[in-house]
Amino acid sequence: MSMEDYDYLFKIVLIGNAGVGKTCLVRRFTQGLFPPGQGATIGVDFMIKTVEIKGQKVKLQIWDTAGQERFRSITQSYYRSANALILTYDITCEDSFRCLPEWLKEIEQYANSQVVTILVGNKIDLAEKREVLRHRAQDFAESQSMVYLETSAKESDNVEKLFLSLAGELIREAKQNKLDNSDAAPTLGEGKSISYLGCCSIN
Amino acid sequence: MADSSGPISAKRCDSLNASSVSMDTITSLTELEDLERVYQQLCTEEKAVEVELDKLVGQQGVINTKMMTLQRMGPNLQLIEGDASQLSGMITFTCSLAENVSRKVRQLDLAKTRLYKVIQRADDILDLKFCMDGVQTALHNEDYEQAAAHIHRYLSLDQSVIELSRQGEEGSSVDASLVMLQEAEQKLKVIVAERLDAAVAAVDLVQVERFFKIFPLLGLHQQGLARFGQYLCSQLASKTEENLLLATGGDISEKRAPLVFAETLTLLLEGIARVVESHQPIVETYYGPGHLYTLIIHLQQECDRQAQKIVDKFIQQRDYHSKFQVIQNSMMKSQMPTERIEPRELDPVLMEVTLMNARAELYLRFLRRRMMADFEVGDTQSPTQEHQQNVEKLLKHCLLSTTMQELIGYYIPMEEYYMRESVNKAVQMDTYEKGQLTSSMVDDCFYIVKKCISRALSSSNIDCLCAMINHSTSALESDFREVLYNKLRQGFPATTLQDIQRGVSSAVSLMQSSLQQGKFNALGIESAENAKAAFLVTLNNAEVCSENITTLKRNLENDCSKLFMQGPASGDHAKIDSCLSDLVNTSSKFKDLLQEGLTELNTTAIKPQVKPWITAFLSISHNIEEEEFNEYEANDPWVQQLIVNLEQVMAEFRTGLSPVSYDTLTSLMTSLVAIEMEKTVLKCTFSRLGGLQFDKELRSLVAYLTTVTTWTIRDKFARLTQMATVLNLERVTEILDYWGPNSGPLTWRLTPAEVRQVLALRIDFRSEDIKRLRL
Repeated sequence: MSMEDYDYLFKIVLIGNAGVGKTCLVRRFTQGLFPPGQGATIGVDFMIKTVEIKGQKVKLQIWDTAGQERFRSITQSYYRSANALILTYDITCEDSFRCLPEWLKEIEQYANSQVVTILVGNKIDLAEKREVLRHRAQDFAESQSMVYLETSAKESDNVEKLFLSLAGELIREAKQNKLDNSDAAPTLGEGKSISYLGCCSIN
Repeated sequence: MADSSGPISAKRCDSLNASSVSMDTITSLTELEDLERVYQQLCTEEKAVEVELDKLVGQQGVINTKMMTLQRMGPNLQLIEGDASQLSGMITFTCSLAENVSRKVRQLDLAKTRLYKVIQRADDILDLKFCMDGVQTALHNEDYEQAAAHIHRYLSLDQSVIELSRQGEEGSSVDASLVMLQEAEQKLKVIVAERLDAAVAAVDLVQVERFFKIFPLLGLHQQGLARFGQYLCSQLASKTEENLLLATGGDISEKRAPLVFAETLTLLLEGIARVVESHQPIVETYYGPGHLYTLIIHLQQECDRQAQKIVDKFIQQRDYHSKFQVIQNSMMKSQMPTERIEPRELDPVLMEVTLMNARAELYLRFLRRRMMADFEVGDTQSPTQEHQQNVEKLLKHCLLSTTMQELIGYYIPMEEYYMRESVNKAVQMDTYEKGQLTSSMVDDCFYIVKKCISRALSSSNIDCLCAMINHSTSALESDFREVLYNKLRQGFPATTLQDIQRGVSSAVSLMQSSLQQGKFNALGIESAENAKAAFLVTLNNAEVCSENITTLKRNLENDCSKLFMQGPASGDHAKIDSCLSDLVNTSSKFKDLLQEGLTELNTTAIKPQVKPWITAFLSISHNIEEEEFNEYEANDPWVQQLIVNLEQVMAEFRTGLSPVSYDTLTSLMTSLVAIEMEKTVLKCTFSRLGGLQFDKELRSLVAYLTTVTTWTIRDKFARLTQMATVLNLERVTEILDYWGPNSGPLTWRLTPAEVRQVLALRIDFRSEDIKRLRL
C-alpha cells in the first residue's frame, strides 16, 4: 500500500449548530448511507474519501465536528489546518441560520486566512417546514462572499456536488498557489482553464 | 428363431424383387439374344434360390429341438403362476396386518400422551394443592423463600391447564385453591416489598439481599432491581456526601489537597465499580443474564447526581469558570488584558481535571465491559445490535459523560493558554551559554509542549489529546517558528575581514577619539559578535526543533499505542495519526527555515569574502612559459592562500554550528566557489603551461574541499574539471578524442559552444581551427 496514492490531500471541516445534519451529510457522501436517529456527535469524527477529478486523485479528509457548545474548544483546534470549511445550517430551523454570524466570527478568529468557506442549507427534503427562504440565505452568502448550496442528505440532493465542487475549487487554489510561489511559471493559463463549474461534471 | 427368420424372409423378398424379369417381359421377347440373356439371368436366380432353400431345410432340426424344449417347459410355467398368486395373497395379508398393528400403536401412543397429560395435570393439581398448603405454612412461619418458591411453582404452571382443571369435576376445590394462591401471591408481594423497604431503611444488607432474591421468583424482576438499586444508591449517596464533606472541610493534608476532588470522584466511581462487581453474581444467579444493564441504569442515575455534586464543588472551590473566563479574555488579542493568570498557577487544576476525566473514562469502560459480558451470556453468541446501542447510549449520554465533556471543553483553552504563555516565557528568558550550540528556549519550549500533550493524553480523552496536538502544532508552527524566523531576519552582521580592513581607518580615528575621551568603545564590535552568535544559535535551534518534533511524534505514538491498547475503535487511531502527521509536518518547516538561514549566511557572510579571493586568480598570469611555471611550482601564487582563507572563514562556523548545519553550509560554500571559479576562469587567458597550472590548482582545491565536507563535490566541480581538461589539450583537434563517441564514461557538462569558448581562452589555439571543429 502506497502512502502517496493521491495527487492532492485536502482537509474539510464541517461546522454548524447541533442537529443541522452535518454527520448525515458526511455519511451520505462517504458511505452512501442516511442513518436516521443518529445520536449527537461526540467530539469529532473523521472520514476519508478519495475522489477523482479530471483524472487526478483527490483524498478528502473530512472532519465532522460536534455542534454542541461543550465541544467547541475541541472543534476549534481543527480550524487552522483546514483547507475548507462547510458551514451548515438547517433550512427548517431559523435559529441555526441566525447563528451563522457567530460561526463566521469563529472562522475569522481560528481558521487560516486562505480557507475556502461554503454555506450549506441542509434538509431541503422537508420543504414544507422551511423557515429560511432561499434568497435570504443566498443574499447572506453573497454578502460574505461565500458560495451557497442547498442539500438534502436524506434524498442525496447536491451532496456529491457539494464535496466535488469544493474539491475542484481547492485544486484550483492549490494550482494558483503553486504558480504564485514558483519563479518560473511555464503554464500561466493552466490555472485559469480549469473552471469552477467544470469540476462538477466528472464521473 | 424369430431372429433367424427375419433376414430369411427379407432375403426371399429381395430375391423376388430381384427377379426383375416378369412373365410379360419374357413373352414379349422376340430376339434370341435377349431370350438367352434372360434365360441366363433366370438360371442364376434359380441357383440362388436353391441354395437358400437348402439352408432353410438344414435348419429344420434345430427348430424342432427348440420346439420340444418349449413344450416341456409348459407345465413349469403353470406352477410358477400358482406360486406367484399365492405370494401376492400373502403380501396383501401381511400388509393389512401391519396396518392394523400400526393403527393400534398410534392409538396406544395417543393414549399414552393423554395419560401423561393426565398425570401432569394431576401433578399440577397436586402441586397446586401442595403449593397452597405450603404457602400457607410458609407464610405462617415467615419462611418467605419457601413461600416464594411455591408461588414461583404456581406461576410457572401452564395457565391453560389450570383453567381446564377448574372445569373438571373437582373444579370447585381447584378454584378455591387458586383463589387462595392468588391471595397468597398478592400478600407475599406486599410483604416482600414491605420487608425489603424496611430492610433498605434499616440498612440491613443481609435482609436486603434476602428479599432481593425473592422478587424474581414472584416475576417482579424490574421492581426488585429498582428497589435494590435504590438501596445501593442511598449507600453510595451517603458515602459520597461524607467524602465530599471531608474534601471541602479543609481538614486534609497538604499533599492531598490539590487533587482532592479527583480523589473524591475516584472514590465514588470505585465504589460503584465495587458494587457492580460484588453484586453481579447475585443478579446473574437470581435474575438471569441481561439484568445487570437494568441495575446499572439505576446506579448510573445516582452516579450522575453525585458526580455532578462533586464537579460543582470542584468548579466552585477551584474557581474553574472564572479562571477560564480570565484566560479567555487574555487570549482575545483585541482586548487589553486586565487580569492575567500565571501559567504555573494552572498546573494543579489542569492536572486534577485530566485525572477526573481519566477516572470517568476508566469507569465507563469498566461498565461497558461488564454489561456486554452479561448480555453475551444471555444472547448466546454475541450481544445483539439493540443491546449494544442501549449500552452505548447509556454510557455516552449519561450526565457523568456530558459533565466531563464540559470540563474538558474548558480544560483545552486553559491548557492551550498554559502552553502558549509558558512558551512565550521560555522565549523571553532565553539564555545562551558560550560553547553551547543551542539556547535554552528550544529545550524549554519542547519540555512545555511535551508536558501539555502528555497531560492531555493522561485524560484518556482522545478528542482532548487531538485538540492539544493541534494546538501544539500551531504553537510550534506559527508562534515559535516566528520567533526563530524574526531572529534570522535580523541577519548575520557583515563585519567581515574586508569590512574591518575597509573600516580600519575610520575605526582608528574613532578609537583615537575614544581614547582621547578616556574610554574605549568596544560596544559596537561586541554587539556584532553577539549578533553573530545569536544567528548561528538560531540556526542550530531550528535544526534541533526539526529533530525534536520528529522525536516528539515518535514518543507520542508509543505512548498512545500503550494507553489506548484495549480501548478505542480504529477511527480514533486514524484521528490521532492524522493529527500527529500534521505535527510532524512542522518538522520540515523548521528544516526549510534552517536551509533559508544557511543560504542567507552563505550569501551575506561567505560570498563577499570568497569572491575577491577568487577574483585574485585574474592577477596571476596563466599565459606562462617554462620558467614561470617552475617558479609557480616553487612559490604557489594563489591556490594555497585561497585554501588558507577558506579554512579561516569557515573556522568560525565550524565551532558555532552543529555538524549537520556546518556540513550543509560547507556544501553551499563549495557550490559558491565552483560558480565563482567558473566565471573567473572564463575571463582569463591561458598558454599550454598555464592550462597545466590551472589543472594543478584545481586539483589542489578539489582535494582540499573533499576533506572538509561529507557531501560529494565532484559533481559540483564537474564543469570546472572539464574546462581544465579542455585547457590542457595539445591541439585543438585533440578535443575530438574526448568528445562524442569517444567520450567513454565521461558525461560532458559543457555545451559545444562552451567548449569552443574555453578553447578560445588558449592564446596558442587559432580561432579558425576552433571554428572548423565539428562538435
